[in-house]
Amino acid sequence: MNSEPNPKEIEPTTGSARAPVWLFVLTTLLAFWGMSFLDNHGGGFDARVYAPYKSIAEVEDDWPRASGPDPRSGRVAFGQLCAVCHMETGLGNPANNVPPLFHSEWVLAESPDRLIRIVLNGLQGPVTVDGKQFNSNGMLPWRDQEGVTDAKISDILTFLRQNKEWGHNAPPVTPEQVAKIREETKGRAIQWTIDELMKVPEK
Amino acid sequence: MNHGPLIFLGVFAALALSWFGLIFEPQLQLGTAQQATNLVNNAELYPQMRPGLARQGLEVYRSLGCAACHTEQIGQTGRIYDVVLTDAGTNRADVVAALLKLKPGMTAAEAEHLTKAQTILENVSRPVADLAVAKLEPTSAKAQVKVTPTGPDIARGWGKRRSVARDFLFDQPVMLGSQRIGPDLADVGSRRPDAHWHLAHLYNPRIVEKKSVMPPYRFLFEKRKIERAPSPEALKLNGEFAPEPGYEIVPTDQAKELAAYLLSLRADTVIFETPMTVAAAPPVSTNAPTAITNAPVAATNAPAK
Repeated sequence: MNSEPNPKEIEPTTGSARAPVWLFVLTTLLAFWGMSFLDNHGGGFDARVYAPYKSIAEVEDDWPRASGPDPRSGRVAFGQLCAVCHMETGLGNPANNVPPLFHSEWVLAESPDRLIRIVLNGLQGPVTVDGKQFNSNGMLPWRDQEGVTDAKISDILTFLRQNKEWGHNAPPVTPEQVAKIREETKGRAIQWTIDELMKVPEK
Repeated sequence: MNHGPLIFLGVFAALALSWFGLIFEPQLQLGTAQQATNLVNNAELYPQMRPGLARQGLEVYRSLGCAACHTEQIGQTGRIYDVVLTDAGTNRADVVAALLKLKPGMTAAEAEHLTKAQTILENVSRPVADLAVAKLEPTSAKAQVKVTPTGPDIARGWGKRRSVARDFLFDQPVMLGSQRIGPDLADVGSRRPDAHWHLAHLYNPRIVEKKSVMPPYRFLFEKRKIERAPSPEALKLNGEFAPEPGYEIVPTDQAKELAAYLLSLRADTVIFETPMTVAAAPPVSTNAPTAITNAPVAATNAPAK
């Protein structure tokens, strides 16, 4: 009689082996690619976003604009007119004495009266923005520039004051407010200084 | 099997993950979907329940296996922006000057002609279109950015926009289909608004489409001897397709239901998910829905979530 057990009856077992490093790298890369694909094409998991749209903002963009200040066209105009000096990021250019718009107390003031004046006539001289000193060489006055209408200024300022990417949330600026101040300061041809602007009541 | 529990956990995790991704998350997204505001005709919600006959027709469509060869989903791969002059204004010279600035290489005569045509710029990027509208704003003319969905399905004329989940809100089951041996039917009701066309097509597709590969569904029709007077419902057939004299081809209830269902397949309503600019209604019909431009967009759309 054979006392040895039949090899076919032994339960097979698995051993262990070291997993190759490239497998982990590959898995990580695949997961990264998958996540970024979801980010770019998932539409933020909003049920109202369908291809070829990639975000709810794009869908909203394709609908006719409501009347009143339009921060979306303000963003375009900001890029064309303001970002040359103040930069797309709104951080300004401290090396050239261009103050930031990002978190600027001048931009975010409750009443836009001073802000509209700065845009219309420009600003020259020392100014403190967000706790830092700047000595402005003189911002360009936009009052008589072609295409810079009251509506466009209100679009840009509304965009600046409500830019969520910057954490801004100030009341919008209407074209009527711009028109009113344009009328009030009609005779002025030179840039403002901070001392003059501080006399404008902060309602 | 010394790793039994581990393998079990692995399989369980994989299945649970796909359940979350494929069933749970879509349920969260679309499970509470409701009718949306019809952005062209604000008084009416979209979609509306199909009429009773058409709902019966869905069952016929299902039982005949139409979904094996026909889809009900239109795809969209892109969109184009045109700038359209909705009102040429009163000061023609002013508008021409603005147009000349928009298109520098153009002669004044061409610009003059453009004020008569509707489309000023074709297939431009969104910022360019916005800029053009902004430049025309100070003039007396009124311009508008026109959004048109594009894609192979739309180019074939199968629909004006893509299908979205809301289109199928009241269908049970949804006959999405996956094979396109025949054309897509998501919008066949607006493409072929004639019930007789559908009945003749079901009786023998070659009557209306010479090269059709669709099988005839003659069993949905009855060949009857004309007794006293011909039936008003009988198909108007002639030539090789007509029955012998003294007989007529009459659709059964099933055929009528199926035709009603096909007529109810319309996916041309403008809703928030599918931005598109529809042409303004002619000024004569004052009660007809006008262009969507005046529709308050953000306020009218209840979030689908």
